[in-house]
Amino acid sequence: MQSATVRILVVVLFVAAPFVQTNTYWQHVFGVALIGAILALGLQLLVGMAGLLSLGQGAFYGIGAYVSAVLTLRFGVPFGVAFLLAGAAAALSSLLLVPIVKLPGSSLAVATLGFNIIIYLVMLNEEWATGGSYGMLNVPLPRIFGFELTTERDLYFLILAVTGAVYLGLDRLTHSRFGRALKAISQDEDAARACGISIILYKSKCFLVAAFTAGLAGSLYAHHARYLNPNDFTFNKSIEILIMVVVGGLGSLPGAVIGAIVIVLTPELLRSSGELRLILFGALVVVLMGVSRGGIAGLAPALLRSIARFRAPASGKAVESAEVKQ
Amino acid sequence: MSSEQVIQGIIGGLAIGCIYSLIALGITIIIRATEILHFAQGELMMVGAMAGLSAMWMTDLPFVIVLLVGMIGGGVAAITIELSIYRTLRTLRVPLINVIISTLGVSLILQNAARLIWGSEPLRYPPLFRARGIDIAGYAISPQLVWIVIFGFVMMALLQLFFRYTRLGIAMQAAAQDSEAAQLMGISVKKTTTYTFVVAGIMAGAAGVLLGSLFFASFNMGFLTGIKAFVAATLGGLGSLTGAMLGGIAFGLIETFSGVFISTAYKDAVGMIVLIAILLLAPSGIFIRAGRRV
Repeated sequence: MQSATVRILVVVLFVAAPFVQTNTYWQHVFGVALIGAILALGLQLLVGMAGLLSLGQGAFYGIGAYVSAVLTLRFGVPFGVAFLLAGAAAALSSLLLVPIVKLPGSSLAVATLGFNIIIYLVMLNEEWATGGSYGMLNVPLPRIFGFELTTERDLYFLILAVTGAVYLGLDRLTHSRFGRALKAISQDEDAARACGISIILYKSKCFLVAAFTAGLAGSLYAHHARYLNPNDFTFNKSIEILIMVVVGGLGSLPGAVIGAIVIVLTPELLRSSGELRLILFGALVVVLMGVSRGGIAGLAPALLRSIARFRAPASGKAVESAEVKQ
Repeated sequence: MSSEQVIQGIIGGLAIGCIYSLIALGITIIIRATEILHFAQGELMMVGAMAGLSAMWMTDLPFVIVLLVGMIGGGVAAITIELSIYRTLRTLRVPLINVIISTLGVSLILQNAARLIWGSEPLRYPPLFRARGIDIAGYAISPQLVWIVIFGFVMMALLQLFFRYTRLGIAMQAAAQDSEAAQLMGISVKKTTTYTFVVAGIMAGAAGVLLGSLFFASFNMGFLTGIKAFVAATLGGLGSLTGAMLGGIAFGLIETFSGVFISTAYKDAVGMIVLIAILLLAPSGIFIRAGRRV
């Protein structure tokens, strides 16, 4: 029951955000944060659930963005169709990674990073398709069922809806047979194989789903920022997404959302500190990594527990039940 | 493609390859000792480049001294972050991935601190070698490149000697291979880990001065170079010293020649494709004997 209240509160908070903050700049930043959340959710499946350290999400994000922008801008494809095709194109390109998913830990990280660099160079150099380093201007605003989304608030709600859908989809996925198989793989690959789980198939499916969500996020980004440049899709982006996931809390979907919001909003909030901004941000990342094993998502229950423990002498049973819930 | 271009390509590739090797060696010894993928290694290189440059601004120094200053700069930066951050994180027993992400934080801190100190403009290194082109078998070769290759090889040879013949070097190797057994032999693994970071910082600092003297020094010169060194280390077989050295040189040569032969725009892509291909064909890297644990 408690978690239901929390859920409703969270939804209310997200819906109310653009009404409370009427400044369009901040509304835009909120939208950016939610796009980050979609990216982080996708990577959470890879890193947090399946234990696959991927540094290539930025490439799929870029593929989604350019596919959506080119389809709407040059071919007049409606936004809704372009949006889905962007996800599909990203997912399709993730099949290129099938041969490398069997690589172990750090090799996989470096290989996916290499993949990101290759895709970035294609975006940068194939000017006929992407506009190269000049970028791509005037990506049209999204139009849904005949309504053009013109204000920042409209766009925010579009992104929020997609974020919600992705969240629920991944939530269902991780609680299904598929999710349990992933957990088995991440804990003990050999044992999982012995149980009849096809490792490569599952790992490839993970990449496929993560790439699809990144492609959707890319499409939203293209129509939200309305200007694309290959520099938005370098491996730095991939690394940023990984930071979101780990800062938020590995293995936790709410953590991925929280991590994305923190990583996008903190530099904005620190803007007044001028040149010290990124130093403070780096320090924050380091400190967060030190204070909590499970990122911010792990921090909240730990805080609650220590409060419960503080009250322990009065009600010893409350602590026990809190522990059990963990 | 004339033979002169080939010779120049080889020397240029070797020079940039030596720089990658020096950084990759640091990355490798850190992975061996702690399993940390050290993303701030490129930034240690940048600190070395900046330290060397600052020393030259103060007074006219011979190259060897500048190199030493760069090495000290890299080493000091490394020991500072190790003692203040990584050791604390290890004491807190946070999961490895947290430490790896914290190295990204450190990289951000070092980059932006350097931007505060040295500004955001690329800084030109004064010419370090006054000699004109060297004649090798009738081909004019930039002395800069030749010196970088020589210094690179000397540094790598010194590192090998350090690991083979000094007590500390052997202790570090032992601690990296089996920390428990090493501890039973009376080696303080805590100390050898710190020294590992210092040695890695020194190598990176030297690479910084060499790279700076080739192009220029700037606050953001480190990250991409560090990533490439990572790729180089993986190419050779992550976790092997020989692998890191040969991987760095191979990567430098691949990059230079694909720039000349294929296209400058896609020269980085060629390196990555080679990397992915090698990982698929020989997952433990090209320079590792099969069956040996990396």
